[in-house]
Formats: sequence, structure tokens, C-alpha cells
Amino acid sequence: MRLHLLRLAALLAAGLAAGCALPPPESEPEARSEYFERNDPLEPLNRVTHTFNEAVDVMLLRPVAEMYRLFIPQPLRTGIGNAIDNLLLPRTAAYQLLQGKPDKAAEAVGRFAVNSTVGILGIFDFASDLGLEPQFEDAGQTLGVWAGTTNGGPYIVLPLLGPSNVRDVAGRAVDFFTDPWGYLGQGDTVEALRVSRVALQTVDTREQLIEPIDALRESSLDYYAAVRSVYHQQRAREILDQTEPRRRRFDWSGQPPR
Amino acid sequence: MQRRAVLAALLAALPLTRLRADARSDRAAAFIEEKGQALVAVIDSDAPVAEKRARVAAILREAVDVRGVGQFVLGRHWRTASEAERAEFLRLFEETLVRNLSARFGELKGVTFAVGRAQPRGEEGVMVATTVDRPGQPAVALDWLVAEVDGHPRIVDLVAEGTSLRITQRSEYSSVIQRGGGRLDALLEAMRRQLSQLEARELAAN
Repeated sequence: MRLHLLRLAALLAAGLAAGCALPPPESEPEARSEYFERNDPLEPLNRVTHTFNEAVDVMLLRPVAEMYRLFIPQPLRTGIGNAIDNLLLPRTAAYQLLQGKPDKAAEAVGRFAVNSTVGILGIFDFASDLGLEPQFEDAGQTLGVWAGTTNGGPYIVLPLLGPSNVRDVAGRAVDFFTDPWGYLGQGDTVEALRVSRVALQTVDTREQLIEPIDALRESSLDYYAAVRSVYHQQRAREILDQTEPRRRRFDWSGQPPR
Repeated sequence: MQRRAVLAALLAALPLTRLRADARSDRAAAFIEEKGQALVAVIDSDAPVAEKRARVAAILREAVDVRGVGQFVLGRHWRTASEAERAEFLRLFEETLVRNLSARFGELKGVTFAVGRAQPRGEEGVMVATTVDRPGQPAVALDWLVAEVDGHPRIVDLVAEGTSLRITQRSEYSSVIQRGGGRLDALLEAMRRQLSQLEARELAAN
């Protein structure tokens, strides 16, 4: 499914490349630098995909995230989120090794070992108490480290998957094949678990972004351009490992959100 | 008291440049604390909205380098703009800052903040970390870039969870201008529309 979409996006991109925006002439250096800073030659196509994604988000994804927040108690959501994050740690460790960060990889492995056992399948995050903080790496970040630049090439909005760029599209494809849990077990139950994991991960991420995305939508004059800029900035920060580790807290007070 | 003395001794042992940098950081942190407290006091007060808005505007004018940020955000279009266009842009820009807060007075009531680390960022100024808490909402990490402008500390950027507001805005504004056929007027119109939306929201909320 994911791969199919990627292929579709690549095809569309190739088809529209002929009609895409060209850089301004050398005689206008400032307009040129702005063009390259924006790094979005496929903008006309990207805007169409963005509008489609927005519709899907407003009609489906955001409402589901709201319901998830409303009906699943906070401690349960934290536990689910922790378990999902935990499953990503082995791959994170592998990417850290590939990025030449063996210390970090060792921490990720330690974190996985502690939380998978003492933390009961990753539900409880005791590793943070031991100083083994949350971390996340993907193939896109690894490619960025290897390339020695945070510039990931032209911006690409993927159908359903959202903002990306040439580097991160390649990264997504690699991530798809390097997920160890994709190779373990078989049968209907395993398949169902796999699908629920992807669904939960999507809803969990969207739930955490309800307020930030609402705020950005509300305050921006050009939401598409704002998202593109935020995506560039956030990916650069992730590649440079400048993101603050964020621990999910259990809130047992039973208070409704807001 | 004793901690102060130890701190002073430590500072004295450091090279002069470091010392100056640390004094600058302390000053920036104190500045954010002071302006933040002033804003919280206005937000929590029971004065009429118009009066609260006027007081917020006065605080922001003292706290933010509106002209510098506006110039940065407009980028290359600043240079080609006429004096009248610049003045109008800055007026709208400042008004947007104020209205963005005043339209949310209700939601913001009870907001608290804690000033964290202040780190020098070379020529750019000092980045002051804060954690902002609204009742019933997850805490938000906001970092304020404070620079010396004409001898006064002034906020020149707001960084929310690693996203710089002025960089995002610059990219957005240039996109609005580009899509409006390269006319600065297209941006000014869009800003006016946004302002009237914020006004309507303020009326509805209060």
C-alpha cells in the first residue's frame, strides 16, 4: 500500500517535472536564493496533494484523534504510546550505529532491554529513570548525516503521508524494509497486530499534534508554506540530534483534557 | 547569599569574554521574566478587553524589536518597499502580534511560565528557555531569542519546540507575495483579512 503510493507519487512527480517552476535568472540573486531556500520546484503539484491531505485530515484523521483522546483515558494512551515507541528502538539503534554513534546505540539497546522487560512490553518507561532517555532515528536522518547536510532536496508532499523531500522519500522506503517486526511471525493474528500498530501509531501521533497543528492552521497566512518551513526546520533539528527527549507522563488524576 | 559569592568567584576566574557573555545571559533571562510577568498580570486582570489590549500592546512594544523582526520577515521585499509600504507593513505586523494575544485572552487566563536556561548564541543574542503552562493543557517549551537593540534587550525571535517563528513567517510571507504576483500589496491585504478575523474572534470570545 505504502509502496504503491510512493510509486504513484514518483510517477506524478516525473510527469509534472516538465511543467514545474524554474529558478529565477542569475540577474536576480535574491529571488534565486529564495527559490533555493524554498526548495520546492514541484509546488503546483504539492499544493494539490496538500489540499487533498488536508481534506482527509479534517474529515477523518483529526476527528479520530479527538475521539481517541476523549475515550481512551490518559494513562492508557501514555502506555500505548510508550509501547509503540519501544518497538522502534531496535531500528533506531541500528541507524545510530550506521551514523557512527555507538554510545547512543548502546543507550537505545539498553532502553529497549529495560522497558521491554521491567516495563512490561514497553508500556512503562523505567529506562528514563535510569537516564536512558527516549530517542528516535530513521533512515532519512541517517542519509542526512551521511550526506553531511540537512538539505534533503526538493520538497515533496506525499498523498496521505504528508510532507517529505527526496531524501526522506528514500528514507521511508528503507524504513519500510528495515522494520524488524515486519519479518517476525505470520498468520492472521500477527497481520492484525501489524495493522493495528500502524493505525495506533498514526492516531497517537496525530493526537499529540492536535494543538500545535490547530495553532499553525489558525495563525498562518499561507498554511502550505508554513508547514513546508516547519518540516524543513524540524527535520534539520532531528538530523543534528537537537530535539529534546520527551518523556510521556502518566497522569492518574483522571482529569478530562482541556 | 553564599551561592552568589561562589558564583561571583567562579565568574572572576573565567576569561573576560565569557564573563561578559554570562552577564548578558542573566540580563536576557531577567528581561524575559519581567516582561512575562507583566503580560501574565494583564491577562489575568479583570479589566475591559480594550484596556487589556492596549496594555498588552504597550508591553509588546517594549519587549519585541518589531522593526527588526518585521524587516527580517519581509526579507528582500523590505528593500524594494516604499517608505509608506514599510510603515503600513510594520503597523499591521505589530497589530497582528497584539491581536493574536487579545483574541485569546479567555484561553490564556491562568497561564504560568518558568524561565529556564539562558544560552548565548554569539552575535545573534541570547536564547532564553521558558516552559509555559496553561491549565489543562500540555506544557509548551518556548525559547526566546533576545538581542541588544540600541542598548536595550529586545525579543527578536520565538522558537517553539525547535521551530523558529520568524523563519516560518518569512517563508510564509514571501510565498503570499509570490502567489500575489510579486506584489507587496497582496501580503498587506492578507494581513488585513487576518486582522479582521482576529478582531471578530476577540468580539465573540469576550
